[in-house]
Amino acid sequence: MHALVVVSVLLLVALLAAPVAAQEADALRRELDQMRRGFETMKEQYQKSIEALSDRLKRLETTPVPTAVGPAPASAIQALQAAPPGTGLGSSPMSPSDLLRPREPYSLYGQRGSGQLLFDMGVTGDFVGAFAPHNVQKSGAGTFGADTNRFFPREVELSFFGQIDPFARAEVRIEAGSDSSVSLAEANLTLLTLPYGFQAKLGQMRNRFGLTNVIHEHDLSFVDRPNVLRNFFGDEGLVEKGVEVTWVPDFLPFYLEALVGAFNGDNTTAFGYGRITQPLVTGRLRTFFELGDTSAIQLGISGANGQTADRLTSTILGYDVKYKYRPEGWLHPLLTLSSEGLYSRRRLEEVVEVETLVDTDGDGIPDTPVTNLIGKKSTRDAFGWYLQGEVQPLRRWAFGARYDASQFPDRPGFEKAIEPYVSFFPSEFLRFRVAYKHTDRDRTQIEEFNLNGATARSVNEVFFQATFILGAHPAHPF
Amino acid sequence: MRRFIFIVTVMMALAALTAGAEGARKLRVVATIPDLKSLTEAVGGDLVDVDSLTRGTQNFHEAEVRPSMMLKLRRADVLVENGLDLDAWADVAVNGANNPNIVRGAAGRVDISRGVPILEVPTVRVDRSMGDVHPLGNPHFSLDPGLAPIITQNIVDGLARVEPENRAAFARNRELFLAKLDQEMGRWQKMMEPVRGAKVVVYHPDFIYFLTRFGLVQVATLEDRAGIPASPGHLVNVIKMMKAERVKMILVEPWNDVKLANRVAEEAGARAFVMATAVGAVKGAENYIAAIDFNIKTLSEALK
Repeated sequence: MHALVVVSVLLLVALLAAPVAAQEADALRRELDQMRRGFETMKEQYQKSIEALSDRLKRLETTPVPTAVGPAPASAIQALQAAPPGTGLGSSPMSPSDLLRPREPYSLYGQRGSGQLLFDMGVTGDFVGAFAPHNVQKSGAGTFGADTNRFFPREVELSFFGQIDPFARAEVRIEAGSDSSVSLAEANLTLLTLPYGFQAKLGQMRNRFGLTNVIHEHDLSFVDRPNVLRNFFGDEGLVEKGVEVTWVPDFLPFYLEALVGAFNGDNTTAFGYGRITQPLVTGRLRTFFELGDTSAIQLGISGANGQTADRLTSTILGYDVKYKYRPEGWLHPLLTLSSEGLYSRRRLEEVVEVETLVDTDGDGIPDTPVTNLIGKKSTRDAFGWYLQGEVQPLRRWAFGARYDASQFPDRPGFEKAIEPYVSFFPSEFLRFRVAYKHTDRDRTQIEEFNLNGATARSVNEVFFQATFILGAHPAHPF
Repeated sequence: MRRFIFIVTVMMALAALTAGAEGARKLRVVATIPDLKSLTEAVGGDLVDVDSLTRGTQNFHEAEVRPSMMLKLRRADVLVENGLDLDAWADVAVNGANNPNIVRGAAGRVDISRGVPILEVPTVRVDRSMGDVHPLGNPHFSLDPGLAPIITQNIVDGLARVEPENRAAFARNRELFLAKLDQEMGRWQKMMEPVRGAKVVVYHPDFIYFLTRFGLVQVATLEDRAGIPASPGHLVNVIKMMKAERVKMILVEPWNDVKLANRVAEEAGARAFVMATAVGAVKGAENYIAAIDFNIKTLSEALK
């Protein structure tokens, strides 16, 4: 009986539940349909993504391969480098459209991480103390003029240099001196990929004229620029705005660099006309010979022709020679000898007194002498040179001396000087130097030398120099 | 102005006259250091003429940029450089060579550090108080024979960029060279097995790749900091450490102060050895394999 009741209840429950199950099956079917549609949509999306990635991969495989980038799997390197070199440098000339197209540095700019500047930056500080007797200070006839008996920052320089793009590099140097004024020392670009061994440098630059003109104050082998350079080109040397083109032939058995340049001629000491239409034209030939594995000699001749502010011709010619002996395995040269000489030929307009006879009594015969001041053009020749020798027996210590002898290109007179010095390098980036300089000047009409009873004709000075380099600094050539 | 134009015209005419006389010739390759010259010769075979800008006895960090380097570079089709700032001076030489084939970014510029697993990459802030530190890591990897496959692959790729038609020949030369190196490697490993784990002192940290490859341990450098001469206090500490760690050997570069190394070694009861820090650094190290062989023999005998 009980069993009959249980079966009846179960049947009733089953009959009541049947419509509910049918409803659930419908709902499941709908959900399955929705999921199927969802999968279809996702499949389409994935297909599109894969196609997009394939396109991108194809594009990447045909884009330029940088020759010096970070680590990559060897297989990837092999696959990538099989592609044609991107820039095409050295293989095909650039077209105008190539020049206009944005290149690697610009795309890298947006991807760079912190610390990746894509150029080098450095600061150099050059401090000098110049000490001399009071009469020298008063006359301003010391090597550093108004800075005599002062400790001063001669040159604090901020420099930026590096590749602009695969075809050119740039260099910008901004400096501050003892008068705290900030000025542009150099700003130029160099076109590196010109054909036939040419290279062009444009902008403001220290001219490659002789040995030391191109060197900044902090890199000089001695405290002060040689007298001949200061007398012929001024305290700052020859720094001009214009263009220099160099050519290095590849068929000679020895190194030869030929240079021509055209500049404004802003240097007021030597030229001063200051117009590119009547340019200061410069030229230089430099050659170099290895004398075995341990010594070498560099020879050069330079020339510059321009106009002074009075539109009179000024020509300067120069020679330079440098010898270094560096024993095998040494990290520095044991002996360095260098010499440079300049010859100046300049047209000058001098005011001279001319005495003439004038007819004062009306008899038609000139009888009274009268003095007139007239401008008279003349040519003045001047010559100057220096010789430097330096011995560096220890890595941290160098001992040297420089002999100067120089006339003045625009006035009479002659001076000679001897300057021994000692340099100490605690490291490659820090240097201290002490020097003594004795200068003798002949009896000239130069006013400042004759002040204070002409005591500034014979000058004794002591220099102290401290130089540091912070950050990047390019390697020094020979 | 007329004179200036005249001079430029004459120079250009001279250049144009001399430019056409190029016939079939070998690829002219210049390497910054002799290790790379030797490897490029192995890869390039008869298809290349290779020259080096430096000699093995020189300190590559401080090579003097001479115009004679510029002359070599002026004629080069390819420049193979070590990278990682070891031969950063090459840029100055290249700038004076007026050769667009090898300026940065050109097809003929080959940096062999590409893909090399670099050791001693600084993980902390670096500045020059740490000496002549290399921010990109230790650049003295060229004489680690285990890295030769990567280096030579870079050379193959670089040469093939300039002469794609010879890629197969370069690759074949590389395989032959690596097979030979592989044979030597087995011998070298056997020679070094008995001294594995031995401790050594180096003058300048340019052996780390080699030492790591053969299981030796560098415990100190004679330099206080890279590129900075040792202070007496530092040397006293090194001597104490060498005695405590029972170090038998100081490895010295031919360009470094061998006398100082000998004095320190004597004080510490060890010996100093001038190593082949590069191809051509010592007699008997005339090529890549010979240089490594020299170092293996010296180490295995000195550390017995």
